[in-house]
Amino acid sequence: MKPMLIALRSILCLAIMVAVLEICARLDDTLSYGAPFWGAYNDESLYTTDAIGKWGKPNARYERWQLNSLGYRGPELRTGTIRIVCFGASETFGLYEAPDEEYPRQLERDLNRLANGPHFQVVNAAYAGETLTAAIRHVPRVVSQVYPSYALIYPSLAEYISIATRSSRPIPSNSAATWADWVGRLRIVSRLHNLLKRALPRAVQTKLQELQIKRDSANIPVIERVPQENVERFREDLTALIGALRNYEVEPVLVTHATAFGPNLSPGDRPLLTAWRKFYPMLKEDGFIDMEHRMNDVIRETAVREGVLLIDAADEIPPRPEYFADFVHFTTAGAGVMAAKLADGLRPIVFFRLQRETSVTSADRSPTSKGGASDVQPAVGNR
Amino acid sequence: MSSQALLYIIVIPMTWLAIRWFRTARTRQTILLLTSYLLYASWGLSFLGLLVISSIMNYFFGRLLRARQSASRLWLGILSNLMLLGAFKYVPELQPLLSHTQLAPAIAHVVLPIGISFWTFQALSYLFDTFGGGELEPSLLEFLLYMTFWPTVLSGPICRLSSLLPQFRSTENSSLKDAARGIDRICVGLFMVSLGEILANGLHLNDGLDHAFQISPSNFSGADVWCLAFGYGFELFFNFAGYSHIVIGSARIFGFELAENFAAPYLSSTPSEFWTRWHMSLSFWIRDYLFLPLAMVNRSKLWRNGALVISMLIFGLWHRGTVLLALWGTYHGVLLVLHRQWQELKRHLRWNFRGHVASLISWFATIVSICLGWIFFRSDGLAQALSLLRSLAELSTYSTVTLPHSLYRLIVVVAFGYLATMGIGRLISGRFQNVRIPLEVRFVLYSIAIYLGILHSAQTQGFAYFQF
Repeated sequence: MKPMLIALRSILCLAIMVAVLEICARLDDTLSYGAPFWGAYNDESLYTTDAIGKWGKPNARYERWQLNSLGYRGPELRTGTIRIVCFGASETFGLYEAPDEEYPRQLERDLNRLANGPHFQVVNAAYAGETLTAAIRHVPRVVSQVYPSYALIYPSLAEYISIATRSSRPIPSNSAATWADWVGRLRIVSRLHNLLKRALPRAVQTKLQELQIKRDSANIPVIERVPQENVERFREDLTALIGALRNYEVEPVLVTHATAFGPNLSPGDRPLLTAWRKFYPMLKEDGFIDMEHRMNDVIRETAVREGVLLIDAADEIPPRPEYFADFVHFTTAGAGVMAAKLADGLRPIVFFRLQRETSVTSADRSPTSKGGASDVQPAVGNR
Repeated sequence: MSSQALLYIIVIPMTWLAIRWFRTARTRQTILLLTSYLLYASWGLSFLGLLVISSIMNYFFGRLLRARQSASRLWLGILSNLMLLGAFKYVPELQPLLSHTQLAPAIAHVVLPIGISFWTFQALSYLFDTFGGGELEPSLLEFLLYMTFWPTVLSGPICRLSSLLPQFRSTENSSLKDAARGIDRICVGLFMVSLGEILANGLHLNDGLDHAFQISPSNFSGADVWCLAFGYGFELFFNFAGYSHIVIGSARIFGFELAENFAAPYLSSTPSEFWTRWHMSLSFWIRDYLFLPLAMVNRSKLWRNGALVISMLIFGLWHRGTVLLALWGTYHGVLLVLHRQWQELKRHLRWNFRGHVASLISWFATIVSICLGWIFFRSDGLAQALSLLRSLAELSTYSTVTLPHSLYRLIVVVAFGYLATMGIGRLISGRFQNVRIPLEVRFVLYSIAIYLGILHSAQTQGFAYFQF
């Protein structure tokens, strides 16, 4: 066979292979998750954007992540329950946990087990990348839909790294899609990427991440630590969120941010820090630990100043590998520990409310009661 | 896909090229041995140390036996191997009994070296063959390679030195036909493994057999238990037979022909036939080195039947030293004895059941009894197995179905799809042997197999027989 013919046939076989693999990936998505065969299918399928900002799309589904009819991760709302809404980012939304094992779901189960009945519902109003300012904008809508009695605030601190340097971030180009964009749209590419991520040894992955960081940080100023003004901005946003919730008579509860890093960094922590920095190349690795300490202190100070219940997850969740799938995201076991800590912390206030409402409801039922059941309705989600 | 799988993908083509470059058998053997050691060490360096110790120990036992074929030397070799196997495989099973002793902390840290059951049985077959007068005189290098040969060291097939040694000594290069045949086998294997994975995990999350086995068995109806038993039977078959295809195909690319491990076992029409088609390398090992020597001890019918049950009991315990696997092995031993008695009764009464209907009934009875046995094999504990069997026995439970209908549909489609494919394959075999599939069509099939076997199954926990 002529060399030219061999080359052409090889190219044809390669093209066939890519096409068949892509068709298989799309069919797999359609059969497994009901994904559209044509068009894009990624985690952005879960969200919609309106005047308020990014928002969970009702009944959306992406792989194992399923939203309810209101656009929150988890089951539909139940009537006659005390509702706790969770604000946060991907740590709260859940990334690595098995389905229905993210900490809000486990917290609901823990509380109901303690209460010997389905008296509580925990609503997961978080989504990946949600900032405190976004949460503040969402409060009116969340309250009008959920009627929560309590709001757990578990902020993602890293969102405050880039606030000051946002302007220096590369602006996405609006020009025509490049060859790399087209390749990136192939679903098989993300599958191969995930496959390699699992298969490559940690050392190789860290080396590749370091190269990417080097490339990404080449044209931006790199900082040693998060500027104090960003920390102050965090303090202001946190205070504003507490105020916004209190305006709607929702009791906020602050939770410090837990990470996979202990008080003293071990050599094994370095690759994790590099993996974290890949998302925020403008901050040096040690700056992340410093950021966690300073911002968790802000959460503690704010709780004292505002008279808000504080649950110190950062101190109480052991930084063990079995609890963290990466630098900050929980495994199913980690989400279980988080849920247990939250249930312990919430127990005094939520059970007091449960007792009070149970006694009010009992009194309503008694022939001598003058008050109506509607007295407790604003506090108890019933819609 | 694990780091090990990636290492295999990188190292194996390099080894293939290196072997083609060097022409002498000794150099090739050295390259293959180094590759095998590298790949095996990726599962644990201490595992490799143990394998090397076992290999050297057995090589010298072999030399001792060649110098003088004495039963005491053979027994010394057998006991040494069984002690090594027992220390890593069976002593940890005694942990609940030894929990209050000083041994408990040490036992808790024992990790099962991957493939120990397979390579120990390979070593024993070498000792038996040498004792039996087999003219096998491997060099140390050849014997080390025999014990560590990378395609088979993890989960078999359990090879005999007599079949591998001539191939190790060959200096012929593998042909393109070998490579094509090997790739075909690997793709068939990947496809089968993916079918097993689909049965285990379901088409949707928490929709498969693995999840079903985690549900409280007290809720199951008889129909559910049959569904689980049949489903698991096919899951295990696709997983292990698929793995065996991949192993045999990988070796074939290098020009090595390994013994087959599966031959359409669910088409068997008797339990005896089943055991000549399922995990053949182990069942033939048990037959040649355990059952036949035992049966020779005494010619009485009772003893032969007893030997059959003992052999199958050891077959079960080879997998793991648990009550459930002992029950599974004994169940199959009893099944084989009953089949033998039935054949004798037929001969005695001169009954002659032949024809399609008789074959169909026989096949159905066989597959049902084989799948029933999988309850012992798969259950998470004796309590679960007994609960499943109780549901099976209670006719009143058959009116309800607890498992999702989608799981029933999946198992029916996969099982009947497989049986129909095999049946049609048999009918048309021979007619299409000379048909050449164009390269482009082959690439379509290869791509589907790669997607199903590697990309889709990337989340799976691996091959079922790695745990043995």
